[in-house]
Amino acid sequence: MFKILYIYFLILQCFLCASKTNAEIINTNVERLLDLSSQLVKTTIKITAEETTGKTITEYVFLVADPNLAFISLKDDTEKNILLRKNKEDLNGDQTFTFTFKKASPTQTFVIETVSSKNIRPHPVEIEQNDKQLVKYNGSLYFYSKYKTRTQKTNVKLSSSNILFHTQQKPFSVGANRIILGPYEDIEALSQQELVVHYENQTPFLTVNTLERTIELSHWGNIAVKEEIQLTHAGAKLKGSFSRYDFQKEGRSDHSAVKSYKTYLPASASGVYYRDTNGNISTSNMNLVRDFIELELRPRFPLFGGWKTKYTLGYNVPSYEYMYNDGNKYQLKMHLIDHIYDNMVIDEAVIKIILPEGSTQIKFSTPYQISRRPNELVHTYLDTIGRPVVTFSKSNLVESHIADFTLNYSFEKVSLLQEPLLVSAFIYVIFLFTIVFLRLDFSITSHSHKE
Amino acid sequence: MGALKMKSSSSTGTHGPAKLWPWTLEEACVGSAASRAKGLLTCEKQEHLLRLVILILAAVLSFATRLFSVLRFESVIHEFDPYFNYRTTRFLAEQGFYKFHNWFDERAWYPLGRIIGGTIYPGLMLTSAALYRIMWLLNITIDIRNVCVFLAPFFSSLTVLVTYALTKEIHSTGAGLVAAALISIVPGYISRSVAGSYDNEGIAIFCMLFTYYLWIKISFVGFQPIQSSEHMLALGVFGLCQIHAFVDYLRSRIPKDHFEQLFKTLVSSVLTLVLVLGTLLTITGKVSPWTGRFYSLLDPSYAKNHIPIIASVSEHQPTSWSSFYFDLQILVFLFPAGLYFCFSKLTDSNIFIILYGVTSIYFAGVMVRLMLVLAPVMCVLSGIAISHLLAKYIKSVDGGGTPKPTDSKRHHKKLEQQTGGVKSEVAIGFVGIITMMLIVYTLHCTWVTSEAYSSPSIVLSARSHDGGRIIFDDFREAYYWLQMNTPEMPVLCPGGTMGYQITAMANRTILVDNNTWNNTHISRVGQAMASSEEKAYEIMRELDVDYVLVIFGGLTGYSSDDINKFLWMVRIGGSTDRGAHIKEKDYYAANGEFRVDKEGSPTLLNCLMYKMCYYRFGQMYTEGGKAQGYDRVRAAEIGNKDFELDVLEEAYTTEHWLVRIYKVKDLPNRGV
Repeated sequence: MFKILYIYFLILQCFLCASKTNAEIINTNVERLLDLSSQLVKTTIKITAEETTGKTITEYVFLVADPNLAFISLKDDTEKNILLRKNKEDLNGDQTFTFTFKKASPTQTFVIETVSSKNIRPHPVEIEQNDKQLVKYNGSLYFYSKYKTRTQKTNVKLSSSNILFHTQQKPFSVGANRIILGPYEDIEALSQQELVVHYENQTPFLTVNTLERTIELSHWGNIAVKEEIQLTHAGAKLKGSFSRYDFQKEGRSDHSAVKSYKTYLPASASGVYYRDTNGNISTSNMNLVRDFIELELRPRFPLFGGWKTKYTLGYNVPSYEYMYNDGNKYQLKMHLIDHIYDNMVIDEAVIKIILPEGSTQIKFSTPYQISRRPNELVHTYLDTIGRPVVTFSKSNLVESHIADFTLNYSFEKVSLLQEPLLVSAFIYVIFLFTIVFLRLDFSITSHSHKE
Repeated sequence: MGALKMKSSSSTGTHGPAKLWPWTLEEACVGSAASRAKGLLTCEKQEHLLRLVILILAAVLSFATRLFSVLRFESVIHEFDPYFNYRTTRFLAEQGFYKFHNWFDERAWYPLGRIIGGTIYPGLMLTSAALYRIMWLLNITIDIRNVCVFLAPFFSSLTVLVTYALTKEIHSTGAGLVAAALISIVPGYISRSVAGSYDNEGIAIFCMLFTYYLWIKISFVGFQPIQSSEHMLALGVFGLCQIHAFVDYLRSRIPKDHFEQLFKTLVSSVLTLVLVLGTLLTITGKVSPWTGRFYSLLDPSYAKNHIPIIASVSEHQPTSWSSFYFDLQILVFLFPAGLYFCFSKLTDSNIFIILYGVTSIYFAGVMVRLMLVLAPVMCVLSGIAISHLLAKYIKSVDGGGTPKPTDSKRHHKKLEQQTGGVKSEVAIGFVGIITMMLIVYTLHCTWVTSEAYSSPSIVLSARSHDGGRIIFDDFREAYYWLQMNTPEMPVLCPGGTMGYQITAMANRTILVDNNTWNNTHISRVGQAMASSEEKAYEIMRELDVDYVLVIFGGLTGYSSDDINKFLWMVRIGGSTDRGAHIKEKDYYAANGEFRVDKEGSPTLLNCLMYKMCYYRFGQMYTEGGKAQGYDRVRAAEIGNKDFELDVLEEAYTTEHWLVRIYKVKDLPNRGV
């Protein structure tokens, strides 16, 4: 009871304080598109905001109550996609994003796109092999905003027309795999009401628990990429026994079990390997599609709900596509993470970049916030002082996070000669040893030479 | 693969003539002593160079020819036992020697466990772990698995060098080179040392030959193994030598009658003393009793009559004549010739090699796996034979039969004898035949290596209708599934052979593995498999297993599956007191055959093994024109199609049904 009162008090308070600063901004029209057809919740919100007193809007604060938010970006008339950076202070536990407009105008129209994971949960949690996977989405019925909203409409896109239940707030209409909620008029700022949709969703609910991506740079013209991936089928768990006979008889492609998925690699990738701790996984196909390579990966066993697998995928790309240099200064531009499967979710990614031995003055920049880890040194073939490794991690990643990082460093070209010299010296020593060895007599008894 | 085949055959092709060179060269050098100073390289140096080139080529070839499996499949460990060695090596490399030495492995032989550090011969593991450490010290960051995979080829390269050294000591440099070239590709040795077959044999042959080499070079007697009875003979021989010397000494000092009296009393008292001591030690366990495997070596029928489990191992079967030819080819015929040449010039080292050859050929006849010990001596003796014969005839090839008297004066006496009285045509013919034989040998060895000895039994392959290769990767599929998706619970694998692989690849506790030391334990498992579901459930509860894994080939036609091994399980199950009710004859059909169709015995059709293998198989169409549930291995439609499992549930079945994993259901709640 106290709790509710307290929350109410808080909401009231922040409403008051919000109205103090930006009392005049209201959302005149909000159109939301909620895409629930995969395991991700992709929201596209078209907002028309207006300053009722006629002043220009310079700043707009966007609130997100969802803790599972993975990605947010903004589009307006002038610029294309802008990644929003989270403000340092939260507002009552909600994440806040502030956007400053370039164009000065009392009315602004812009589009915000968000992607969040793990908001669609299987319900029931366990199903049998031949059952269909049903899921439940819990979200907000109204557009959650710091400002008052005059009129809003929500378009929910689903993966199938099999809808068991959804929140019945009038007006609404239901079409084939689509629910239109609203329009709702005059919703107060910060008002929240739950939206529940319970429906059939057979798309793969795969989650990458950990991704360890290692990029090894060589100045001899090659970049080796290795990804160690642990996958879990996060959908409804398999209850009871698994029958191979039924599985083979069915052969349906829309089953919630995952037989295979597609990974995209750069078009120049070569020497692709797909293996795990037990060796090569002999079930995969590689196709070259226009400007990328499509790799159809089949895990050793079909992934049913709750089943896990772990594998390593690696390939080489030529360095001239990603490396630029100016004298001794070098720059590497590559994807931070790469496509693993459509609508992917990565819980935790650790990225390691191994630079050539002798690289110094390492500078690093990324398009979004990451947590940097201390640099390390690795020793591998023909190394003496060790190669510097740049390491960083990031959690909760989705496909929209596929973007380039930039790494600057300097490297003396003379150091390239070190490795061949080392090998030549080694062979030289062997020859020297042989020459000496052949001239020495190791026999115990002295042979009397003929002639 | 094609490229390698080309390479290996072409480089062995150069071997044929290469073997002849040192001799022709020597003669040429001797013949033109005047021109020696003029040439860039002196004769001696040329010989050195040639010898080095031939040896290095042979060593490289012996490494390369063992890589078929890596190129065709991948760098994996083969077979079953190597997986155990691999796992222990990995442990050693990761945890260090002291942890390894004190390692109690709870994964094997559940619930007994196994003290690994004290019960294995750690030489193999230590060698590869040491190599691994050295390479990491030099910043060569190679995976421990690759060290294990390539260890056997590496050591076979060393074996080539050691064979050269050994044969050189016994006979001559030329014979050494021929023997080295022969051993680099002899199938009998390759069968145990291809890349991936990570077992003691890989190193053992090198060590054995190296020991022999040192033995011949320096008189050498080892004292080490005096506790295990398998090694007692060596000690006994050594002791006898001492006694013999002592007796000789006495005989020279004491009058004859006194000596005879003394001799008689001494012999009788020593004999009784040894007998009493021996029995005492055996009873107290100081000297381990002779193992069944050892008995079966001396008496091939021993295992068959006494311990079914030893007889059930295919490696312990007697060798057939065809496998001699398959593994050794022309060496079989050259062996007696080599023996003859050794007899013709009896020295200590020649006597030794004769003894080695004769005893090993007997043992190889008793047990297939001992072919490995025979192969090196075959190569050594054949090398001697070929080199001896070629040396004799090659001189006459262009010399026109009789050498000029002026030349022969300068020759060694030996050379003079060898060149005596052979016509050029005969010599050319003879050399041609030998060359042909060597070429055929090379081709045969390459073919055998590529076809027979280079498939890792973990991955199966078959030809499809259109000639393409189909790969059955079901074993690893199952192991990986176990590793990823089961809690860490004990797994029962009645076939046994898969045990080591499961612990290594699936990282799960196993009840029975390849190591067959506890007969009663295995017997209990056999009883579970041979019993009906209810009885089996009790046994499985008693054994505390959660998952049961069977190998089933009925869909693919993989013949070494658990149904075909089932009779062994029945025999082993019935061999102890608790399984006395299990009788082999109950599992045969009325006419005495082992059948799985409707004619089969009802005991068989309702036992656990049958049910686990054929669960829901009755609904499958396996082959065109045949009824549902047609077993392709037994070529029969199964007799019991429609049944449900009460105490087990299917947990996983691999893509081609090769491995089927069942979960043992929990006890039902009370009162339900």
